[in-house]
Amino acid sequence: MNCSELMSLLVDFLGGELVQERRETVELHIRACPRCEVYVASYTQTVKVARALPKCGRLPATFEARLRQLLEPELKARQDD
Amino acid sequence: MVAPIPEKLTPELVFREYAPRIYNIARRMLGNDADAEDVTQDVLLQVVRKLDTFRGESQLSTWLHRVTVNAALAHRQKRANRQRHETGDLADDLMETTAPESAVKRWNISPEEPILAAEQQDVIEKAIAQLPEPFRDVYVLADVEGLPNAEIGEMLGLSVPAVKSRLHRARMRMRDLLAPHFEGELAS
Ligand SMILES: [Zn+2]
Repeated sequence: MNCSELMSLLVDFLGGELVQERRETVELHIRACPRCEVYVASYTQTVKVARALPKCGRLPATFEARLRQLLEPELKARQDD
Repeated sequence: MVAPIPEKLTPELVFREYAPRIYNIARRMLGNDADAEDVTQDVLLQVVRKLDTFRGESQLSTWLHRVTVNAALAHRQKRANRQRHETGDLADDLMETTAPESAVKRWNISPEEPILAAEQQDVIEKAIAQLPEPFRDVYVLADVEGLPNAEIGEMLGLSVPAVKSRLHRARMRMRDLLAPHFEGELAS
């Protein structure tokens, strides 16, 4: 396996989608190739920090107020059903 | 995670849970607050009106993502028509994104369970905003939202290999933009 073959497998590698034999070939290359080792480590770190972004951050206050005004009557009507 | 569906849909749940989730996806896909607000409002109206038809949490979560993505794509299309915006070749677009020019601050974050400071979040969000739209959509849904590639393919009308290819290119670009902040030899 050369470096560019390894690159083309990174999504599947990190997604745990490679069969064992293929995964081992990738791991072997990473251990033997300092350039890929560093690249894969920083690529992996990139994936990890993106996953750590907040998915449920607060709404801007003025927007939330506007939404409440719009939706609360409808929600109340539902609760009273 | 979306909380389990309660007996009644309370305003608190809508405003603390659903609205922010929708808003965050839309803002990342569309790259600005005003458009994200429009989309969030559209989607929430649909949520409130259709909630009775959902039976489980995963069904609502999948539906919420799908409706949000559709609304964001439609909104972008409308905006593009208005502005007669021309999208160039994707490959060129991807190469034209600019690297951070300001003095780079190194991040001291745990690789195992990163907890991001506001400033770090800001750098990542700005890098995401620099991705050309077709790559950004896949990236936001896969790496920020953590959705499976097959689900993303269905939402965006792409094959799974196409999703993976865009994801890889988006990650490479993100890596280039973020790596200067990483520690030690990763900062290259
Ligand atoms: Zn290599």
